[in-house]
Order: sequence, then structure tokens, then C-alpha cells
Amino acid sequence: MKKTNIEWTKIPVGRRSFLQGASMLGLAGATGLGFSGNAFADGAVLKTRAYADMRSLDPAFSQGVPDEEIQAPIYNKLIQYKSGSEWGWQLDAAESIEQVDGTHINFTLKDNIGFTNGFGAMTAEDVKYSFERIIDDKLESSNKPDWSALDHVEVTGERTGTIVLKNAFQPLWSITLPYIAGNIVSKKAFESVGGKIDTTPVATSGPYMHKSWVPKQKTTLVRNPDWKGDPAAFDEIQIYPIDDEKASEIAYEANSIDFTRVSLDSLDRLKSSPPENTTVAEFPSLFYVWVGMNLSNPKLGNLKLRQAIQYAIDVPSIMQASYFGGAAPSTGIIAPGLSGHRDQSLTGIAANLEMAQKLMDESGESNVSLTIDILNKSTNVTTAQIIQANLAAIGISLEVRLHEGATFWNLGGNEDLELILNRFSMTPDPYYATSWFITEQAGVWNWERFGSEEFDKIHTDAQAESDPVKRNQMYQRAQDLMEESGAYKFITHEATPNIYRNTISPALRPDGLPLYRYFSKA
Amino acid sequence: MLSYILRRTGLALVITVLAVSLLFVIIHMIPGDPVSTMLGPKASPELRAALEERMGLNEPLLIQIGLFFANMLRGDLGIDVFSNRQVTDIVLGQVPYTLTLILTSIGWSAIIGIALGCYSAANRNSFGDRLTGVLSVSMIAVPAFVVSLYSLLFFAVTLKWFPAIGAGEPGDFGDQLWHLVLPSLAIGLSWVGYIARLVRASMLEIMGEGHVRTARAFGLPERWITYRYALRLAILPTVTVIGVGMGFLLSAAVFTEIVFSRPGLGKLVIDSITTRNYPVVMGSVLFSTLIFVASTTLADIINALLDPRLRSAR
Repeated sequence: MKKTNIEWTKIPVGRRSFLQGASMLGLAGATGLGFSGNAFADGAVLKTRAYADMRSLDPAFSQGVPDEEIQAPIYNKLIQYKSGSEWGWQLDAAESIEQVDGTHINFTLKDNIGFTNGFGAMTAEDVKYSFERIIDDKLESSNKPDWSALDHVEVTGERTGTIVLKNAFQPLWSITLPYIAGNIVSKKAFESVGGKIDTTPVATSGPYMHKSWVPKQKTTLVRNPDWKGDPAAFDEIQIYPIDDEKASEIAYEANSIDFTRVSLDSLDRLKSSPPENTTVAEFPSLFYVWVGMNLSNPKLGNLKLRQAIQYAIDVPSIMQASYFGGAAPSTGIIAPGLSGHRDQSLTGIAANLEMAQKLMDESGESNVSLTIDILNKSTNVTTAQIIQANLAAIGISLEVRLHEGATFWNLGGNEDLELILNRFSMTPDPYYATSWFITEQAGVWNWERFGSEEFDKIHTDAQAESDPVKRNQMYQRAQDLMEESGAYKFITHEATPNIYRNTISPALRPDGLPLYRYFSKA
Repeated sequence: MLSYILRRTGLALVITVLAVSLLFVIIHMIPGDPVSTMLGPKASPELRAALEERMGLNEPLLIQIGLFFANMLRGDLGIDVFSNRQVTDIVLGQVPYTLTLILTSIGWSAIIGIALGCYSAANRNSFGDRLTGVLSVSMIAVPAFVVSLYSLLFFAVTLKWFPAIGAGEPGDFGDQLWHLVLPSLAIGLSWVGYIARLVRASMLEIMGEGHVRTARAFGLPERWITYRYALRLAILPTVTVIGVGMGFLLSAAVFTEIVFSRPGLGKLVIDSITTRNYPVVMGSVLFSTLIFVASTTLADIINALLDPRLRSAR
């Protein structure tokens, strides 16, 4: 996989900055004002930002990145994501793990991992309990789909076992095992509190332990003194939930945090004039943004009209105006670096107005007036306005309809939808992307009501396909089918720009998300 | 006085019930399916149905309101479906942050505002009075969000004197106070100007009344007349305005909590509305309404204590 992260560093040197610093210290001393609340990371404490507050520390009920950012350092999985520019995994609690056939995975646990609070060594029984509880109907785990292929876990020894699947499931290695549903909890500890927890863990096993959670303010992790693996680099990790990227940039510049994602519109400023002792790093993202067209709406029943719209939309203009040149155009729903990514789309990236007008003429449509529904965010509004202008060039008038979050995400059931500007999150396996566009999802998350037997078959078959070349081709074909339907114009995968102090050495996934347990001092 | 307090408290309870019922209906009228928002795209139909039942969303709205009040009387505001925590615990965990912010803001602004108002009234048409007037109007004109952003950029980012986020370490009073400075400056600044103008106008009106002239005729010291007799009456409208202004303070707190990433009721309400987390929204709304109604009731009672005519008039 090709990585596109670029780094800009600024080390404070020179007389002026020295004098500024000295005068600030003098002023602080003279006025009796201290810096206790906003000191630079002293190497012992890592202060970082999460985009939302923690919801649950139970792997069966955790829903997203903010929860996993806390769980990954305090729990162990059989395997964890590797940091770096290419997607991959590394051993964690497993001393070894091997797929013996399509449905059987043997594992052996390390012999030096134990749970806190006296809950003993990690055993294969804990692995069995952790995975099987998620598929237990009685628990009503929201993460059950991640283990949909699990039949059971067979315990063959104190530290050995076999994961038995109902059917071959390749995403197991890229989504299930190294992410939330792969966290191993203590059977004894969980059973002692009735089988599930909320925000207070009973026993953990990772290099860090959960110390405290002040709702809406801070989660604090501390070193686990009983951890026998590579020592944790920081005495404490403090994770601050800051929803707004602008607020987190200010918090960073005020020295209140040491690592944060920043907004794309701040990127130019931060690159040209980074805060002191700071590295700015850009990473590609896995999100995918597209314009969808509802195939069940009679107004969009004409394939030529839909194709005219595909050719009229100018993605490079959107990249400049909406993403400030910080993101690249996409060719589909699968990002670069993942199996199934296409190097080119069928309809191109830049607008082809000549082709669009030709298709428009062939469609026989005139006085076309359409709507586009969007989530009310400035990036989306700008994108919609550009599309509005693009379509006006071929005689289509477009009305932009804005919605706030909870309203927008429930539009799928509305059969009158016309155009939609949409953005889905993604995990590092193409199966996750195609799963929303199968026929069964029409009106649920497949808002375009796209239906293709071939596409559905690819989605099913590719989950089990172990040959990477074949799997790659299958997902590429799936995206061709989406585009050929005329229901999709792919826009971008966005980007993840991060800033961090030069005093830390972050461990990041290829999409720029942090793996705090592997963060170290620079 | 006791019967006045009882009557006023009874009225406050009726207002609370009406306000919460109205807000309940409004919140449920906003488009958006809480179950989809809460469970995300991976939820199965069975899981959705189970959650709808747990949240009582399959009941008619009137029954939902009735259940809410019945549970509320038992001290049960429900369970947050995200974290499985009691809503009462979640909301009560945030109330102290918002109350501290609001009370600190109004506290320091009232002290400075009253002092400036008295000074202006006592030195009417002097240079100091005019300067105070200009400053007061300027402070009123600057919205809390502007003060928030500029104070954050200047004092936290540029000077690095104060922290930019959070509410301080629990249990560390000094740290919490340190984190309170900029947010309370943002909320309180416009109130300084507002209170100063109000006190000045009231003072000037009172100073011209007959009983003040009589006091002067008796040869009482001017300072005594100003602060012992005039201020006591002049402060009545200020108390009322602060009580009624609690609604504005709460809304200013919402923005300030977001800008400074402080925990608090405002931030909780915004987060829970965007996710249609109805139990938490209703819990937050209930406590916000209680704070507002309690403050207006308290203002009325203080007014009645300061001015006996108000007690007999009702």
C-alpha cells in the first residue's frame, strides 16, 4: 500500500522565540500565575483528544472509535492492528495464531498475561467467554454482526483453543479480531458482576489500567504495574472528549493536549506555521463520500439522465472548495491500500461537460428539477453548491435540502429521495463497504435502492475468498457495477491530518487513528 | 411570609410540570428515529424492537409523558441506553459544573456591576460616570460567545495563562477555580454592564424620592443614605433580573461549555439531543427547568424579604 502521509516539523530556535519564552516566564512569575493546568507533556503524561466521550467499556456494547481508543490499551486481543503505513496485524495476547482451514483458527495464548484485581491469568476459557457472549442472543450485543460467522470457540487446553466458524470469513483478520469485538475480558470478573459492565471495568489486562472517568471531561489510564510485556511508555494517558476539531486545535495550541486530529481547513495554516515543537502529519482516511441517486424515484428512472449527472459533477472543484486541497478524489467506496481499491473510476474525476450534455440530450429530458439531501455541515453545503453549479451547466436545477444529524440518518426509508450527498465510515476490509449496498439493505442503508444479483453474490462470495488477487478483482467488479447503474458518483475518502508534540512518538494506523498502547516518548 | 413562600413554591411546581410536559412533546416532535441513531447501522430488527420497548417508544405519547412523571416521582429518570447508567446519576453528575459556572459568573458580575452602578449614581455626570457608562454598554454589546473565543485565544493560546479545556481535577479546588476563570469571564462580562446600568438607574430614581430627601434633612451621612437606604431598594430590580436571567445564563453556559469543552448540563443536552437520547434529554431538561424555576422563585422570595409591600400585595 502506498502511504501519503507527509510531515512538517518546527523546532523552536532563535533569539526571538527565546526572548518571548523568557518574558512569558517572567510575567507568569511576576503575576503569580502558574502553568499547572496547561503544562507541556513532561513525558510522563500523554494528553490527547477523543472526538466523543466514552460510552461503554464492555466490548459487547462499545460502538466506535472513542470506546476502542480506551479499550485497546487496557484489554488484550489475540491480535492488534500494526502501526505504520500498511494495514496489518501483530500478535498481542496470542503467542501464535493460525488459520488451519476456512473455518478453524487455532490459537495459543502467551503465558504472562493476567487480569487485574486478582482475577488470575488469561486462559482460553476467557477467550471463549469473550467471543461467545457477543453472539449470545440474551445479551443483545450491538456488536453481534462482527462475530456473525462464529459458531463457537473450542477450548483445547489452559491456553490453547480453536475458533470455529460457521463459514469462511476473511474480515475476521481485518475487522473482528483486531478491533472492538476482539477484546478479551475476564470470565470470572464479568460473571461476578452479572455478565456485563458499563463504564467501570472489573478487571483489565493491558499495559494500562483504567483509573478514572469524569463524564464529558476526561478518561485517565495509568500504567498497569503487573504488565509483563513491553513496558507502557507513559505514567498516565489522559483522554479528553472534545467534539469540535477547532476547539481541539485551540486546546493543542494552548498546550492542553499533545495529540489531536485537526480540521482540513486549518491544515495550510498549521503546515506553514506549525505551533512550537509540533509535527503535522497527513494520513489518508477510510471514510467514503459519494452522491447517490435514488433508483426507485421515477424522476431518476432514466439511465442517461443519471449518467449525465455522473459526468457533470466536477470532483476536483469539490476537493479545492470543500476540502481545501487536503483530500484526494475517490474512485469508489474502497480506499487506497485496501483490497478491491480501483485506480480509476468509470466516469472519471473531473467533469466532462461535453459528454454530460450529450447524455442529457440523449435522455430526452428537459426542465429537470431535482433535490439533494445533505447533512448540515459546512463541507457538505459547499459540496452541494458546487454540484448545483455543475448540474446547472447541463440544464438541471438542483434544490439543496439541509438536515441535522438524527434527521438525516433516518432519511433512508423515504422513497421520494432524489439525490443524496452521503458519507459512511469504514473499517479496513472491503466487505464492510459492500455490505450496505446489497439488495437486502435497500431503504435501510442502501438509500439508492441499488439492486444487483451479481453484486450481492460478490459480496457473499468475497467474504470467504482467501486468494487476495481474486478477492481484489471481485471488489473492483462490485464497484464497477455500482457505477454502471448510474446511481453513484464517488467524491472522496477525505483525509486525517494530525498534529502532535515532538516529545512523543505516536503509533498510528494507516488511516491516522491512534493506537495509544504503542505510543512512546520521542 | 410563610404563606407567600408556600404559594410561590406551589406555583413553581405547576410551572415545572407544564414546562417539562411541553418540552417532552416538542422533543418527540423533532424528526429522527432515536433507535437508529443509538444502535447504529449494524443493529438487527430484533435489537431495535427490544430497545424501542425498553425506552417505551412503542407507547402513545400521552402514556410516555405519564410514565415519565410517575417514574420521576419515584426518583427514576430511566436508563441511558448507551452506557446503561442511571439518567439521574448522569444528570446529577453534570449539574454541579453548570451551577458552579453560572453562580460564579453571576456572582462576580453582580459584585462589580453593583459597585459600578453605585459609583455612577453617586457621581452622576462625572467623568467616571460617563466612562462607566461607555464601558457598561460595551460589555452589554459583546455576546458571550465572542468573549469566549477571544479570551480563549488571548489568555489560553497566546499567553497560556489559563487552561483551554476541561473543568479541572476533581477534588482539586485550586485547579477547578483556575479552569473556571475564562468561562465565567465569558458569561459574566455582559452582566457587569447590564447590572451596572440597572443599579445606576434604580439608584437615581430612589435618590430622588421623598424618604431620601427626609433622611438628608435629618442630617444623615450621604454614604449611609446611599448604601443603607437607597441601595436596598435599588437592588430589587437587579435581583428580579438575575432570577429571570437564569434562562439566559443557562443558554450562555451551553455555548461556553462547548467552546471550553467543559462538562455541564448544556453540553449534555446538546449531545443527547443530537443522538435523540430521550431519557437523558428529558433528565437534563427537567433539571434545567428546575434550576430556572427555582431561581425565579428565589428571586421573588428575596424581593419579598427586602420589600414587605410585595408580600402584602399578593
